[in-house]
Amino acid sequence: MIENVPFALLLVIKILVVLALMLVAALVLIWGELKWSAHIQSRVGPWYAGGRWGWAQPLADALKFLQKEDLVPDAADDKVFRLAPYVMIAGTIATFVVIPLGPTVVARDLDIGVFYLLAISSLSTLGVLMAGWSSGNKYSLIGGIRAGAQLIAYELPLVLAVAAVAIQAGTLSLTGIVAAQATPLWTIGGVDIALPYVLSGQIIGFVVFLVASLAELNRTPFDLPLAESELTMGYVTEYSGLRFTMFFLGEYAGMVSISAIIATLYLGGFWAPGLSGDFLDFAGPFILTIKIFLVAFLMIWIRWTYPRIREDQLQAMAWKWLIPLTLFNIVATATMKVVL
Amino acid sequence: MTDSPSETTDTPSPLGSFAADLAGDVGGERWTADNGTVHVYVAPEQWVDAVTTARDRGLNFFSWLSAIDWSKHVEVGEPAADGDDLEERYEVLCRLSSLEDAAAAILVTTLDKEQPVLDSLVPVFGGAAWHERECAEMFGIDFRGHPNLIKLYLPQEFEGHPLRKSFALGSREVKPWPGTVDVEELPSTTNPEAGEAS
Amino acid sequence: MTQLDPRGIVEISDGGVSVELKGEAMTLNIGPQHPSTHGVLRLVAEVDGERIARLDPTIGYMHRGKEKLAEVRTYAQITALINRIDWVSGFANEVPFIVGVERLLGVEAPPRAQYIRLILTELTRISNHLVFASSYPLELGAATPLMYALREREFVLDLIESVTGGRFHPNFNRVGGVKPAAGGGKTQKKVELDLPAGFYAGVEKAMDRVDAVCDELDDLVSGNEMIQARAIGVGVITAEDAAAYGLSGPNARASGITFDLRKHEDLLPYGDFEFDVAVRHNGDSFDRYMVRIDEIRQSTRIVRQAIHSMPSSPLQAKVPRVLKVPPGSVYVRGENPKGEMGYYIVAQGGRVPYRVKIRSASFSNISVMPKIAVGQLIPDLVATMGSLDFVLGDVDR
Repeated sequence: MIENVPFALLLVIKILVVLALMLVAALVLIWGELKWSAHIQSRVGPWYAGGRWGWAQPLADALKFLQKEDLVPDAADDKVFRLAPYVMIAGTIATFVVIPLGPTVVARDLDIGVFYLLAISSLSTLGVLMAGWSSGNKYSLIGGIRAGAQLIAYELPLVLAVAAVAIQAGTLSLTGIVAAQATPLWTIGGVDIALPYVLSGQIIGFVVFLVASLAELNRTPFDLPLAESELTMGYVTEYSGLRFTMFFLGEYAGMVSISAIIATLYLGGFWAPGLSGDFLDFAGPFILTIKIFLVAFLMIWIRWTYPRIREDQLQAMAWKWLIPLTLFNIVATATMKVVL
Repeated sequence: MTDSPSETTDTPSPLGSFAADLAGDVGGERWTADNGTVHVYVAPEQWVDAVTTARDRGLNFFSWLSAIDWSKHVEVGEPAADGDDLEERYEVLCRLSSLEDAAAAILVTTLDKEQPVLDSLVPVFGGAAWHERECAEMFGIDFRGHPNLIKLYLPQEFEGHPLRKSFALGSREVKPWPGTVDVEELPSTTNPEAGEAS
Repeated sequence: MTQLDPRGIVEISDGGVSVELKGEAMTLNIGPQHPSTHGVLRLVAEVDGERIARLDPTIGYMHRGKEKLAEVRTYAQITALINRIDWVSGFANEVPFIVGVERLLGVEAPPRAQYIRLILTELTRISNHLVFASSYPLELGAATPLMYALREREFVLDLIESVTGGRFHPNFNRVGGVKPAAGGGKTQKKVELDLPAGFYAGVEKAMDRVDAVCDELDDLVSGNEMIQARAIGVGVITAEDAAAYGLSGPNARASGITFDLRKHEDLLPYGDFEFDVAVRHNGDSFDRYMVRIDEIRQSTRIVRQAIHSMPSSPLQAKVPRVLKVPPGSVYVRGENPKGEMGYYIVAQGGRVPYRVKIRSASFSNISVMPKIAVGQLIPDLVATMGSLDFVLGDVDR
C-alpha cells in the first residue's frame, strides 16, 4: 500500500510526522521532568493547568514564551543570532529520520545509520557556539566556549562506545542493530533467549554512552555552560520569545532523540522478547516509547540528585577515564566477536 | 604626656589590672575598665606602635575600627551630657581581642577637629582596610598610608560625611523628631510583675 | 637573549625563537543583580580566561544608615532597627544590644528571660544554618537539598513564631528581659504567661526532625563525590588571615581557630549546658560547610537541655518607663550564627544613645575575599563566596 503513494507526498507526510512526533514527545518529556523532579524534592509539581495532573503546563509555557517580546541585542551579530536556535534544533530533529519505530516503520533506513546519527547530532554543537558568540555578551561567550569544549571532549567517548556496538552487531544500520539484538543467543528448552546489548556485553558502553550523552545535552552534572548560579543562563541569556522556545524545546527534543538512540543501540529498540514480524510494526512504536521514557527518567533522576562538576574536572573525566574505558570496551568486544 | 597610667575609674579588679598592664605596654596615657569594657587611650603619634604592641601581646584578632564625633551642637538626636564643657574632638577606636580567652581592649586616640589625620593600620592588620574606608567616608578622617582610600558604602559623588553630628538627617528636616512626644502606655497584659519600659 | 615585547616575552637563541604571549585580561562584572551573590553585591573581576587576576567588591547597595538612625531612636525602638541587620537570624541580632543597655543600666535579666533568649538564639542559629545548607548546594548545582533543609526549617520557624509572633523579626527583647507573651495554656498559672502550650513537645519534635535532616544531608551532600571535588581545597583561608581580617564564627572555626564566644562571653547562660565547639582544620569551603552542620547538631543538643531545665521567674526586670541611660560606654559581643556581632553603645544620659557602632560579622567575613580570590577559577569563586555565608544586610548595615 505504501508503495502506491507518490514519492513527494510520502516525503512530506514523513517530514510532518517526524516533526510532530518530536515536538509532542518533547512536550510530554517537559511535563515528565516537572512532575518527577517535584516528587524527588517532596513537592507536587504542576497541578492546576488543564485540570488534575497539570498536563497542560508545558503547552501553557510554550504559548507564554511565544507571545513574549522578540529582542535582538544591539551588540549582537544579527544574522548569526537569529539563525543559531534553528541550527541547534535542526540537528536534533534530523536524528529521528533513521530511528526505527518498527521493522518497516522508519523514515529512511540508511545503511550507514549510526554514522549519520553521530554526524548530524554534532550540528547542535555548532548552534550552541553560534549562540554564545553572536550574543555580544561576555557571559554568553564564556558559556558558549565552555559548551564547545565540553561537547568536543565528550564526542569521542560517544563515538567509541558506538563503535563497539557496531562491531558486535556487524552493521551500521539501525534496523540491523535491532535485528542483531533480537537474534537469539541461546535456546533453552525450546525457548529462544535473546538479550539487548546492555545485558549481553555492552554494559560498559552503556554507562559511558549515558554519561557522554548527558554532557552532549548540557544537563547536570555537566550543565556548566548553562549554570544559572554563575552565568545567568550562559549562552541562552540574550534570547527571548520564539527563539528561546526553540532552545528550550531543543534541549528536550535532544533528550528524546538521545534516549531513542540509547534505546535502539543498547536496549533493543522497538523489539521486545517474544514478539516478531508484523505485530512489531504495530506494537514497536509503543515499546520504543516506553524505553525512551525509561532512559529519560534516568537522566532526570540524575539531574536532580547531583551537583555540577567544574569544567577542568569534566575534561579530566572525559580524557582520563571515559576514553580509556571505551578503548578497552572495543578491544574486548572485538575479541569476543572473534572468539565466540 | 605621661607614660604611666594614672587615671582609673574603677576599683582594682582582674579587668582593671589587665587594663593597667596593657596600658603600660602600649604606652597609653590612661585607661578605664567600666561595664566590662577596657579602653586604653593613646596619643595619635603612637597609634600604629600601640596597636602593633597590643597585637604582639596576644590581642591578635582585629574586630573593628570606628570613630566618635564629640560635638557640642548636634543636628539630630540629643547632645552630650557635658554640655558646654565638652571638648570637641574625634575619637578613633580600634577593638582588638584575643583568640584564646575573653581578653579584649579598645584602643582610643583623640584627633583634632580641624585636622583629623591618622596613620593607617593596614600594614599591621589587613582587615583594617575596609574599616578605615568606612571611617573616612563617614567622618572625614584621613588615614595616611592607606592603599585605596575611596568611598566604601556611599556613591563616589556623595558630598558630606554622614556620621558627623553636623550632618542632618533628611527625614528630620521634613518632620520633627517624634521622640519629643511623650511616650504612651502600651496596652498592658495581666502580668503585674512586668515593668513597663518605653 | 630575552627581550620584552608588548605582546609577550620573546626568547631568541641558537635553538630557535620562542614567544610567550600575554593574554589580555577581561573585566567581568558579576552582579549587582545575580542569582548567587546573596543579595546586591557587585564584584568586578579581572579574569584571564577563567582565572581571576583581581577582585574588587563594591558594597553599599543596601546601606540603610542604621548607625545614624540609632541616634534618633530610643533604646527600645532600636530593637526594631537592628533585628533587620542579619535578617536570616533575626532574634540573635537583638540580644547583644539589649544586654549592653542592661549593663549600662546595671540591671540583669531574670533567669527565665535569659533561658528564653538562649533557646530562641539557638533556634535562629539552626534556622540560619539550614538556610545555608539549602542554598550552598544549590550554588554548586544540586537543587534537591534546598527543599529538604527548608522543609525542616519551617518547623523551627513555627516554633519561633509561636513564642514571639514573628518568624524573622521577632522584636521580642525588652530592656530588662523579654516580652511577656499574651495568652498561655490551660496548665499555666498567673505568672508564667510566656511560652505557649505544647511548646516543649513541639521543640522535641522539631529537634528530632532537624537531626534527621542533618543525617540526610550528610548522605546527599557531604558524601557526594562531586560536591567534595568542588569544595575540598577550594578557597583556603589560613588562621593568620582569619585573625588579621576579623573573620569570626564558623568561618574562623573551619580554619582551626577554636574560639566560640558562647564559651567565653557571659551574655547568655551557656555555661549551664554541655556542648562542643565545632572545629575543622583545613580552612576550605568543604570545612566551612561541615562546621555549620556540626553546629546544627550542637544547637539541637543545647535546646534539648535547655527546655528540661527552665527556671521559674518573672520575665522582665524593673526598669523605668521612660528609659534614660546614664553616661558610659560598653561593647557587648555575641555569637551570631554568622560570627561575632557586637554593639558599641555610647550613652550620654538621654533617651537616645549618643553613638552606636554596629560590628557585623559578614562585613569582616567578606573583606578577605579580594585576597583569597586571586588565582581561583570563576566556579571556585562562587563556591568560596557561598561558603562564607554572608548576607548583604549584615555587610551593609
